[in-house]
Amino acid sequence: MTHVLVTHADEPIGRRVVKNLYHDPNVEVIFAIGSGPPPRKFDPYLAGSEPRVTYTRLDLAKHRPVHDLFHSAGFRAAEIDTVVYVPRHGAGSSLNEPLVGGISERTAESRLLLQHCLETRTIQHLIAIGSAFVYRLPPGNANHLSEESELNLDPNVMPEVRAWIDSDMIFHSEVHNDRLRVVLLRVPTVVAAGGYVYLHPSLAGRPGSRVRALGFDPICALVSDKDVARAVRAATRAPVSGIFNIAGGEAIPLSLLSRWTGHTSIPVPGPLLGMLDATERVLGIESRLGASGGVHLRYGFTLDTDRAAEELGFRSQYRIGLARAGDGALRLDTASV
Amino acid sequence: MSEIESPQPVAETPNALVAPGRALGRDPFDDVASSDPLDEALEQLETRESRRPMDRPRARRAHRSVRAAAPATAPRSTARQADPAADADAPKPDNLARLIRRRWSTTPPLAEIELPPPKGLIDRLLSSDERRVLASLAHLVEGEAPYDRFGYSPEVMKSTFLVMRTLYQYYFRVRSEGHEHIPHEGPAVLAGNHGGLLPFDAAMAVIDGALHTDPPRLIRTVVDRWAGTLPWVNLFYARAGQVIGTRENFDKLLRDGQLLLVFPEGIEGMRKTIAHRYRLQEFRVGFIEQALRSRAPIIPVAFIGSDDQTPILFDIKPLARKLGIPVAPITPTFPWLGPLGILPYPVSYRIVYGEPLRYHERFGPEGADDPRLVRYLANQVRRTVQLMIDRNRQ
Repeated sequence: MTHVLVTHADEPIGRRVVKNLYHDPNVEVIFAIGSGPPPRKFDPYLAGSEPRVTYTRLDLAKHRPVHDLFHSAGFRAAEIDTVVYVPRHGAGSSLNEPLVGGISERTAESRLLLQHCLETRTIQHLIAIGSAFVYRLPPGNANHLSEESELNLDPNVMPEVRAWIDSDMIFHSEVHNDRLRVVLLRVPTVVAAGGYVYLHPSLAGRPGSRVRALGFDPICALVSDKDVARAVRAATRAPVSGIFNIAGGEAIPLSLLSRWTGHTSIPVPGPLLGMLDATERVLGIESRLGASGGVHLRYGFTLDTDRAAEELGFRSQYRIGLARAGDGALRLDTASV
Repeated sequence: MSEIESPQPVAETPNALVAPGRALGRDPFDDVASSDPLDEALEQLETRESRRPMDRPRARRAHRSVRAAAPATAPRSTARQADPAADADAPKPDNLARLIRRRWSTTPPLAEIELPPPKGLIDRLLSSDERRVLASLAHLVEGEAPYDRFGYSPEVMKSTFLVMRTLYQYYFRVRSEGHEHIPHEGPAVLAGNHGGLLPFDAAMAVIDGALHTDPPRLIRTVVDRWAGTLPWVNLFYARAGQVIGTRENFDKLLRDGQLLLVFPEGIEGMRKTIAHRYRLQEFRVGFIEQALRSRAPIIPVAFIGSDDQTPILFDIKPLARKLGIPVAPITPTFPWLGPLGILPYPVSYRIVYGEPLRYHERFGPEGADDPRLVRYLANQVRRTVQLMIDRNRQ
């Protein structure tokens, strides 16, 4: 039986992961942590005298709270053997705020979590959700990328993607660890029912106007949040470590994805994108127009998921498309096939 | 997300990708409560693992030795690097392998296509046979999604096909032979000579391949990375089924059992002046490596006419370098007629497909790791194409 710790369980993907693991008969205890109050959907899980799920508020980016958590009596009693790192994926702009020393929040979280996982002898398994936007994109509307594709180590890459790359490399460094089994799941744009989009550098956040490069309409790989949760569940049970691409069957152009998610897509000539980006930074409204998307506004990618199918037994089960919601509006939705 | 929980009929939606009648917005826990193929796969993974005579993941132990031997290798999953001796006791045939076996992307035969009544002007301008071909090619896109993973759009292909089909028949008056060498299914690499400032040779091959194969096959041309940087051009290529020549794209398409057309001369083929037309430049070797690794035959193709469509008198290389473009040509019409000067002359095209070269059967995938062999095979393909050109020009 597995005892799992899930980070950022109060955010959409974290919630989905907790729900999925809750229904896994192999998971006995779920230790959920998040920065906000426990989600209302957890109420049935947290009720009862000996609930399988416990929820703790914690700032994962700060050393002291994390240290205290890993050395607390409650944590020891839970006998956690598996840690699932779900990164924060809420508002895009808040992710770019640097901490002391210029380290992004995500980088700090990754470093602290990995350090404590290595120090805690009971933890044998660390599963981290990373981003597929870490790959270097060659020119082209749709590039197929495998786990062996190069990472984008360009120093001028946008801050959010740089944070993803830093986090990716931190976990990557321990993939060959003999004691701790590290699984890194690289996911593309995550789509949830109701038209919510996570982890896309320029589409995250509330619907509004978003720019894209004129004459380009890159293909975006998509994955349902439910499939991400299934992949995490598969990783908790599959006896492997390594890096795995996780993606769904659909891939659509950026303009269509913008439309489906309620954004207005504005084509802007390439040279103007840089100026717009600089202006947004000066005004402190990054990600309002998504001009900082950089190369991802021109070139697209899809992911090779053969390794995940072969070694994790994971295949996407959810299709992504438009469906009419209760209020009569068409919204992006996911459905099992 | 409660707004999607009312059971509205999905079939009314214009872009619905979901089958009619399928309930959306169910209880969030339904997906984990109902049967999930993942459970079956996980059980098999665990069964497979439990039969191994060690508690810890076997692959990790094997990995230590690999890491010691090659510390600078790219990140790899440990399970892939298990030693063969430990694999010997793994159950075979493995059900999991059957579950994840890749199927080739195929198109249905023309006889199986039922055509709906024509809709719109383009449908009316196309013959029923051509509409059947396009309907069959649309099956390359999985499900009802409007695009495939490489950006191919059947809708864009339909309008492109109409224009190119007209050029094929009336402007270039294409004659072709050797279609029997194009396999009905499975991967193959078509390697041909390249000429002309605009890639009409590739366009004519796509139309020719679609019209003369049953089930129709989409020939996907591998284009230079430079084309991917051009606004609109990159979009047009992708939507018409062409792909940028990266190793991953190449590998994925061959594993999917698709037809790839490569011009191994690269940009040098385009730069040939009138004095060197139909004299093949040195071939690159990447297509040989990929064909060997993917066990795909190589089909030599000769294009007669492409080198005559825009004869280059001079190529001002310093100017091309300065402008960041592959070629700065002087032709009888360019730059004198402006952009119109690069349009092709109405030359007669001839496309000849040669017998497949099945190097993969003789040398296997491991042959791709031998640089001398790969170079030798590339020269062999070049010689074959050159012979076909010389024979058919006479």
